[in-house]
Amino acid sequence: MAYNRYRYGPPALKSSVDVQLQSAFSDGNWSAVIRLAAKRFATFKDPYYEAIRVSTEAQLQGTAEKCAVLVHVDELVRSKKTPDINTLDLYEWACQDFIGYEIDFAETFGPLRARWVKANASSPMASSCLQGCLEQWDLVSAQQIAATLDKTYANTTDRRYMFWNITLTFLLSCTEASRKVYSLLTVRQLQKAADITENSEKLEKTDRGLLTEEEVCLYYRVLLSHGTKEEFLARLRSPKLGAISQLKQGHKLLFCECLDALETWGEWDTIYELCRDALKLGLDGSTTPFFVCDLRIWKRFIAAATEATNADAALDEVQEVLKQFIELKDKATPMYKKNISLALLETTFRLPSTTINPDHEDTAMSPKVVQIGLFLDQYYERFAAFDDVKGYVAELGYEEAKTFLEDVLPKIPGENPTKAQQIIIKALECRLRYTLTTCPQTLSPHPTVVEGTDQGKPFHCRVCSKLAKSPCEGCLRKLIIDAADAHRQITSDKELLAAIPRLDRDPRLDLALVMGNSLLKLSGLRPGLPNFGQSLWQDVQPDILLQAVLLLDTQLKVTPKDNGLRLLLVKLYLLFGCASYAHQLWAPLDVKRTIQDALSPLFFDRISSISPGLFQGTRPLMEPLRAYYTQSLRDPSPVRIWDAFSSGSYTSILDMAEYDKKLRTSCTLVMTLVEERRATRLFGGKLDADIDDHILATDIVEDTTLVHKTDYGSFPSLESANGPPIQEFIRLGPGPSNERSHLAFLAEQYLDLLTYTPPKDYKPSKAAEAAARDKAYALETLTRINTSLTDLLHKPSTPKLLTPAETNYYTALSLLSALVLTAISLPKSETSIPKIVSQTTQPLKTTLTTLRTGLLSPKSTVPATTQQAIYSLCDMPSFASVRDVAFAVKLSAAFVLSHHEKETARDKSGKSGLHKEVVAEMKALESAAAKTLGEAKGHVGVLKGVMNESGWLDKLLDVVLGEEDREVGELTEKVSEIVEGRGGAEEWAGKVVDGWREGVKGWGMVKFE
Amino acid sequence: MANFRRFRPDDLNKLSKCNLDPLTETYELSFYLQYYAKWPSLFQVAEDENGNIIGYIMGKLESSPDVYKFSEHYLPWHAHITAVTVAPEARRLGIGKLLTEQLEAAGDAGNAWFVDLFVRKTNYKAIKFYESMGYSIFRVVKEYYGDHSTDPTQDSEDAYDMRKPLKRDVKKEHIRADGEKHEIDPTDVW
Repeated sequence: MAYNRYRYGPPALKSSVDVQLQSAFSDGNWSAVIRLAAKRFATFKDPYYEAIRVSTEAQLQGTAEKCAVLVHVDELVRSKKTPDINTLDLYEWACQDFIGYEIDFAETFGPLRARWVKANASSPMASSCLQGCLEQWDLVSAQQIAATLDKTYANTTDRRYMFWNITLTFLLSCTEASRKVYSLLTVRQLQKAADITENSEKLEKTDRGLLTEEEVCLYYRVLLSHGTKEEFLARLRSPKLGAISQLKQGHKLLFCECLDALETWGEWDTIYELCRDALKLGLDGSTTPFFVCDLRIWKRFIAAATEATNADAALDEVQEVLKQFIELKDKATPMYKKNISLALLETTFRLPSTTINPDHEDTAMSPKVVQIGLFLDQYYERFAAFDDVKGYVAELGYEEAKTFLEDVLPKIPGENPTKAQQIIIKALECRLRYTLTTCPQTLSPHPTVVEGTDQGKPFHCRVCSKLAKSPCEGCLRKLIIDAADAHRQITSDKELLAAIPRLDRDPRLDLALVMGNSLLKLSGLRPGLPNFGQSLWQDVQPDILLQAVLLLDTQLKVTPKDNGLRLLLVKLYLLFGCASYAHQLWAPLDVKRTIQDALSPLFFDRISSISPGLFQGTRPLMEPLRAYYTQSLRDPSPVRIWDAFSSGSYTSILDMAEYDKKLRTSCTLVMTLVEERRATRLFGGKLDADIDDHILATDIVEDTTLVHKTDYGSFPSLESANGPPIQEFIRLGPGPSNERSHLAFLAEQYLDLLTYTPPKDYKPSKAAEAAARDKAYALETLTRINTSLTDLLHKPSTPKLLTPAETNYYTALSLLSALVLTAISLPKSETSIPKIVSQTTQPLKTTLTTLRTGLLSPKSTVPATTQQAIYSLCDMPSFASVRDVAFAVKLSAAFVLSHHEKETARDKSGKSGLHKEVVAEMKALESAAAKTLGEAKGHVGVLKGVMNESGWLDKLLDVVLGEEDREVGELTEKVSEIVEGRGGAEEWAGKVVDGWREGVKGWGMVKFE
Repeated sequence: MANFRRFRPDDLNKLSKCNLDPLTETYELSFYLQYYAKWPSLFQVAEDENGNIIGYIMGKLESSPDVYKFSEHYLPWHAHITAVTVAPEARRLGIGKLLTEQLEAAGDAGNAWFVDLFVRKTNYKAIKFYESMGYSIFRVVKEYYGDHSTDPTQDSEDAYDMRKPLKRDVKKEHIRADGEKHEIDPTDVW
């Protein structure tokens, strides 16, 4: 990507330049500047005027004038002389549109600036040369400049030069080139500096030791990367640069970072000692009391104690330290008080059972249960109470959990609890009961085959004493009924309703989430659905799933500010094809600017397959995302990197470089590019350029590891750690991944090749040569794409990262690219066509037939029931894959046949066309694709007709709440009560139906020809 | 449940608990990274056990440009709180207070005279919070905000510039008791 240092204007001319030329230059009066500069050059023979003329000519429109400066730059590079800095500035300005394209900064201006600095090291301009190189991310030149500056300013009070040099050498050592030399150099420089610090009584600013927190942390980062574990551990305990010594100076960063490293190495003894010593600093007054009293530190301390060489003694010491903190608790802020309480809970759970229950009494009222109870005594009314104890409750044995829920929890609010307190406990109980349904201890294995028949229930539920699947459906049903009763109790009690605003959290929300999650599980929803060729709802009971959505949607009206609930609903509406309504719910979240990279996949991933119609709005759907990346990745260097250099923030430099690298290779970025292009193709629109040429795709090459960072942190999490989180149940296929992103990118590259049309005015004089070049390019590209697609699809991890529909599509592309490659490279004279042709065409034809019969044919007739119609409406991503495969086949055949026609027309000898059997195969494929596309179009027509029928509202409500005046099950009755019956659900049903109608309308605009 | 540490750029991928809250502004990447680049010790976060950010504070150390040295509005070397936020689920635990104290400690380490911040005149809750931490109104910046948080008929709102003296200000020279009487124009804020 081109960096434009002169985005805000040209450089200033030297003050010695006369006023007339200065004003013409500042006015942008280029013709006058050129004339005057030429005149001055003739008069004074000063080459600077020539540079002004050449640079100014580059501002003109003519190609020759524009490019003349390139020759001058090339001459400067070759001359090996020290260039004039003002000339360099002018040339760099003149070349701004060429840098990154025709000119590689690292081979031109970078080395020129480094050369200039070497000759003018003490000039104030030297730093700006370094800045220039950094902004172009030319690390080699930047390091050379920094080394020169370090040498020049050694032992001065400005310590930055030394550390610029070290940091840049380290950054270079993290690239492939000369890794070893640079890493050795960095380690040695910093070792020397560390020794100076350790050996000096008092370090002065002019000493070349490590003084600031940033300098010390840089040293440890380098050691971690290039040093040995032994060196790292030894230094960590050293008197001045050790982690504890740094803590005493108020520097916590090193302590936090080193614990991460030690945990990776399994250095539990060291972790134990460091955590103990760090916590004791607070007790003995060396730091503020709670300086390191983070829960993470406590957890590490406790974990390290259990792993320590002498675990018993270590655990005794943990309890001793904890006891001292408990004594200080009254002086702590609520946050630290809570951390200490949680540390106590953690200790209880990590102590060996022999310690906490020395007599081995088989008691359900165990110390663990008691401790959870004591914690909740203080915190049960707080927002995070459930999250705080969920993990611990999930660890309890069955009997313990039972005792906790039945004997301990109800007593927590005391003897005379208020109504609000009772309901808070009830909501907490429901949530914990739900969590326990996801824990293995509530189920015991049971023979599933009885008298030769598989009962399908391989467990015995210890809670309800019935045969069960996992989770136990009976328990989930009971939970829904209990939660619904509690919900009803709140809504019918004015006193309780009045109390809600004073509570940390609305208990109705918690109860609704329990009911919603339970209904989702009962509906049959599970991670990995839908399977290809099947509607989602062939595995799921639509009435129950829709009940869950209706119930949660009703709750959202009551608690519209709850983002977790909103996100849950966004995903659910996307799951069953109601994308326009999902978009309405998504919009108020106001996901914008920086948080888009992590949050946008929650809505936009696969969006073109779900609802292409969304791309037809007045504002381009993904424009904010594109704008964010364009703005943040505009320059080749990490955003604000010079600020970090100039401020001496060395660890910031390293982290910012790492973050920038990840952002440039983000799965969300690929999603942004791909989804927009897919939508454009669906509507038959014209793409501006190939995906390879997109300014945001510069850093994406075949072996790039694409990074996904989707933030699910706000999703309500009732599940235990024993099973997948809720987002995996409600996501339309696996989340973003390196493999899927690469496959999507390759698919676009393949389609770009097939749909490329040369500019109208492209008429090569030597047609045969041009045709040979085009063919060579096509063969090379096809080989590359085919190899990459095949490699990715054959990776063992890939199938789990794709929906079956995606696997089908990318497999088809892999076959097609192989077929096209063979087709256009096979000589016409060949007597028999190679097996690969039949090996690719046959599966492709089979795929098309399977898709047509499996997905389209049964639904091309009007669905007999509402449920069948709903199946089709929800199955649009599978339908999209039918269109995608058929279209790719059609384009591939057209590409080959067009190549054949062009060759036949160009070479009248008849030798250059394609093999006749290949042509025949391609025509057969083209016709099969056309047939599939025709049927797909017909399918959309049928859906349109179905959606235009009247009575949809009632039909939907009949499915969800049962037909009017008919008896319904207890669960449906409970849901109906909460949503206030059909009347209350009508508005919701209207939105869902409108959402489906919008979706079908969008598909109606898609091109199938 | 909370851990306090210095911000790192990867935290930007874990902001949803804070930044999906309508009261928390989301900025461009360069804004966050400018603070991380220039004043990393004044950019602190609180995270939960799953690594989600549940609170953060961004601040800077600076003085007014030298050109204003002789102006009555000149601000000497001080720490400034640019943004402080706590996720709804983590409120009432003193996380905002702890984050602010950490910034004050960084201000002391940077030898600043005082910490200052701007708050809407109608944000009584925040004003009370800062007052409880030792901040006082130093001046009123008239029509500092381009909108009004509570009255849609108004197109601007005043800000209180609140201050807390740091260790360097032994004589408490940088605060005043009658700050509410000192009104200034937004153009006098640099």
